Amino acid sequence: MLDRLLQFACVIALLAPVPGDAPLLEVKSPRGIDFILENSPTPQKYLIETMPGGVALLDYNDDGLLDIFLVNGGRIENPMSAPENFDRHDPRYWNRLYRQNKDGTFTDVTQPAGLANVGDGNYGMGVAVGDYDNDGYPDLYVTSYGKNILYHNNGDGTFTDVTARAGVAGGGWSVSAGFFDYDNDGKLDLFVTRYMEWDTQHSKDCGGNFHTYCPPGEFPRTANMLYHNRGDGTFEDVTARSGIAAMKGHGLGVAFADYDGDGFTDIFVANDGMRQYLFHNNGNATFAEVGMEAGAALNLDGGPLSGMGVVFQDYDNDGLPDVIVTTLPRQTYAVFHNDGHGSFSDRGLQTGVTMLSGVTSGWGVGLEDFDNDGLKDLFVAQGHVLDNVEKVDPSLHYLEPTLLALNRNSRFESVDPGTAALVAARGAAFGDINNDGSIDVVTTVLGGHPQVFMNRGTNAHWLTITLRGTRSNRDGFGARVEVNGQTRFATSAGSYESANDKRLHFGLGAAKTAKIEVFWPSGVHQVLNDVKADQFLEVREPERP
Amino acid sequence: MIGSAVVRATMVVTMLMLCAPWMLAGQAISPEAQQHWDAARRAETQKQFDVAVGDYRKVTELEPTFAAGFVALGQAFMEQHDFSNALPPLKHSLELDTNLVPAHQLLGYALLAQGYAAEAIPHLERAHEQGALGIAQVETGQFAEAITNLQAALQKRANDPDLLYYLGRASGLLSKQSIDTLLAAYPDSARAYQSMAENYLVLRQMPEAEKQYEQALKLRPDTPNLHLELGEVFARTSRWPQAEEQFRAESKLQPGNAEAAYRLGDALLHQGKSREARAALERSNKLQPQMPETLYALGKAAWLEADASAAEKSWLELLSIEKQGELAAQTHFALAGLYRKQGKTAEAEREMKQFEELKSSGSNQTASDPRE
Repeated sequence: MLDRLLQFACVIALLAPVPGDAPLLEVKSPRGIDFILENSPTPQKYLIETMPGGVALLDYNDDGLLDIFLVNGGRIENPMSAPENFDRHDPRYWNRLYRQNKDGTFTDVTQPAGLANVGDGNYGMGVAVGDYDNDGYPDLYVTSYGKNILYHNNGDGTFTDVTARAGVAGGGWSVSAGFFDYDNDGKLDLFVTRYMEWDTQHSKDCGGNFHTYCPPGEFPRTANMLYHNRGDGTFEDVTARSGIAAMKGHGLGVAFADYDGDGFTDIFVANDGMRQYLFHNNGNATFAEVGMEAGAALNLDGGPLSGMGVVFQDYDNDGLPDVIVTTLPRQTYAVFHNDGHGSFSDRGLQTGVTMLSGVTSGWGVGLEDFDNDGLKDLFVAQGHVLDNVEKVDPSLHYLEPTLLALNRNSRFESVDPGTAALVAARGAAFGDINNDGSIDVVTTVLGGHPQVFMNRGTNAHWLTITLRGTRSNRDGFGARVEVNGQTRFATSAGSYESANDKRLHFGLGAAKTAKIEVFWPSGVHQVLNDVKADQFLEVREPERP
Repeated sequence: MIGSAVVRATMVVTMLMLCAPWMLAGQAISPEAQQHWDAARRAETQKQFDVAVGDYRKVTELEPTFAAGFVALGQAFMEQHDFSNALPPLKHSLELDTNLVPAHQLLGYALLAQGYAAEAIPHLERAHEQGALGIAQVETGQFAEAITNLQAALQKRANDPDLLYYLGRASGLLSKQSIDTLLAAYPDSARAYQSMAENYLVLRQMPEAEKQYEQALKLRPDTPNLHLELGEVFARTSRWPQAEEQFRAESKLQPGNAEAAYRLGDALLHQGKSREARAALERSNKLQPQMPETLYALGKAAWLEADASAAEKSWLELLSIEKQGELAAQTHFALAGLYRKQGKTAEAEREMKQFEELKSSGSNQTASDPRE
C-alpha cells in the first residue's frame, strides 16, 4: 500500500514542477502591515525576551479572506521593578489585528475590534484560534507571561474580553495554546502550555564573562493547563483531574492528533531541555503521558530535546499522524514517525531532517504541501535563542535562514525559501492568504516586521476543505480527513505560539478530481466522490449518520 | 609562579620526611649543641617551628662547621614556608660539604619555590629529584627535558595531580614552541596552514579553519589526516555531503585508517545513507575491532537497514565492552527501541531500566544545550 502511494507521489512530483527557476515562495511586504515584534531585550537577559511571539491566520469577519493577528511582547525595564509593568497601554506594544482587504492590502483594525491594550501586567507570547461557542466566528485566546485573555468574536467585527467569565486567565508563564475537543462533546476545549516557574524578580544570568539567557533547567518545571468547555461560555480547569498536572515540564509547543486511531484526540507537548510529552487521551476525560513507551520522548540516541515547535501531521501519507519537533542546534529536529500500534520511531536520518537541522534552531514549524504534489513539505522558522550565541560558539548564529524543505518520497530536500534574510524568527502560521490554492506563511521576527511568504504556486491541482461540524464541534477540529490517499488532522494548533488557517489544504498533483473521506469526531464517516479539484469546498457534517 | 602553593605544600613536606634520619649520622657535636638539637627535633614533631628555628640556630652558633645543623635550620624555615630565610643556611651547608645531597634537595626546592628555577636545577639534578626538576625545567623553557623527568617522576608517583598538571603544561608548551618555530620558519607550508587550521578548529571558528585546511590541501593534497580534519570541520557545521567527500578522500589515502572509515560511515549515516554507512563502518570495525563508537554506529546503520539481528549483535558487543557512561546508556535505549518493535516487552523494559539507571547515575544527565 505504502509503495503504491509513494509511486503515485513520484508521478505527481514530476507532473507538478515549480514554474521556471523562481523559488516557490517569495517574501512580500503587504501594504498595511506595520507591526514590529517588541521583545525589548535588556542586559538583564530576562528569558521572556527571547520567547515571543505568535501569529494567527484567521477569517475573523467571515469575508472569505484570511486576516492576520500578531502577538506583541511589551516594554521591559533594565532592571524590571515590581510590580511588573510592560506598558501594554502604549500602542507600540499592542497586539495587532490586520484585516485583509479585497485587493490584498491590510488594514489595522486592532482598536475598532477591541483588541488594543491588553493590560500592563502581561507580556505577550502566543495565540490560539477556535470557535469555542460554535457561533461560526473564530475566537482568540492570547497567551502571556502574566494573564491570558480569551476574546469572544462578536460576529460584527469586534471582540469582547470574556476571560474572567470564562475562567481561563491561567497565570504564570503561558506559551502556546490550542483549541480541541478532547471529550468529543462538540465543544472546543483549551490546552495551554506553560514554560516554567519564573518571574523577573527571580531571574538568573547564565553567562560567564558575558550575559546570556539561562537554559530552562535553571528554573523549576511547571504544569500545562487543560480547560474543559462547559458550553455555557465558561470553562472548567480540569488540569489536575485529567492527569495533565501530574507531568510538570518546560512546555513550549503543542499539537493535537489522534495518533492511535481510537477516536479521541491526543496531545503532544514540545518540552524544552527534557523529554517530550505525548498525552494519550484515555477517552474518559483523563490523559496518560506515554511519550517514553511510545518512543516519542527522546531522540534516536536517547537524548533529551530542547523542543520548541511541534507539528502533528502525516508526512508520509500512511494515514498516521507523525510528529516533528524543532530544537536547538546540535540536537537536530526530531522526526517521530508513527509506526502504528501506538509506537513511534525517530526517522530524522531517513527523512534527511537530521542533515538539515544540525546547526539551526527551530521554532514555528509546519507540514504543508507547498508545491501541491500530494506530499507535505517542511517549513521551519529559525533563529537561535541566544542573541549572543556567537560568543558561546562562533560556529552558531543568532540570526538564521528560513528552512523550506520539499518532500521527495518522504525525504526532505532543502530549497530556496524565497529569501536569504537572516532573522531571529519565532512564530509561524500557515494558510492560503490570497486564496490561490497555494499555502502561504507568516512568521514573526524578534525586533522586526513579520515575514509574509507568498506562494507563487505550481501547475498542480489542489483542494481546500472547510469543515462545518454539526454534531461535532463547528470547526471540525479532531476530524481525520483523507483525500486521494493523503491524510490531514483538522486543527488550527501546532507550530509555535501560533494558529493556522483552519481550512484543510490538499495538493492533488495531476488529479482533477478527488475522493474525500471525513472521519468526524462524532464518529460520523462521510464520503464524497469525484469532487472537482481547484476549489474551496465546505463539507458539512451530516446531522444524522 | 614558581613559588606556587602547590610546590610549597607538596614538595617541602616530602622533603622533610626524607631529611630527618640522616642528620646526625657520623657527626659528633658538643653536649650543649646536642641538647638544642634534641629540643629542636621535639619542637618540630610538635609543629612548634619557631622554637625549632631558635634551637637549630643555637646549634649552628655552637657548631659552625656542622653542616647538618645548617641543613636542619634551613629545613625548619621551610616548614614555616619561609623559603627566603631558608636559603642562606642551606647554601652555607653546601659550602661546608658540597656533596650533601639532602642540602641540594632542600635548596633546590627552596629556590624553586622562590622563583629561581634556573638556579634550582643543578641542585635538583644532584638530588635526582625528577619531579621538581621537571617543574623547574618547565619554568625555564626546557620542555622536552621537563617531559622526560616528569614522566619518570610519574612512574614513581602515579597520577600525582601536580606532576600531571606540569606534564600537561610542558607538553602543551612544547607543542606551541614547535608550532611557533614551524610558523616562523615555513609560514607558507602545508603544515603551517594545517596548524593554524587546528587552532581555529579548537576555537570553533569554522570558516577560518576551513580556509586554512584548503590552503594546506592545495599545497600537499596527500598529507595524511588533512582530509580527515577538514571533514571534521564540515561535520561540525552539519555539512555532511562535504564531510563525506573529505572522509572518503582520507579513506582512499589511508585505507588502513580505521578512524577515517568510521568518520566516513558516520557522515553517510547522518545523510540517511545507511547501506553505504554500514559498509564503511564494517570496514572500520575490521581495521580496529571493538571500538564502542563504531559498534554503536554500526548497530544504528543496521537498524536503519531493518537488520534487527545485526543491530542487536553490534549493540550487545558494545555493552560487553562498555558498561557505563553515555554510550552505554544510548545503547540500552537503542536496544529498548529494538525490542519494543519486536514485541519483546520484557526485554524492552529491562533495557529502558538500565538506560534510566545510567542516566540517573549522572553519567549523562544534561541535554546538549549550548545555553549551558
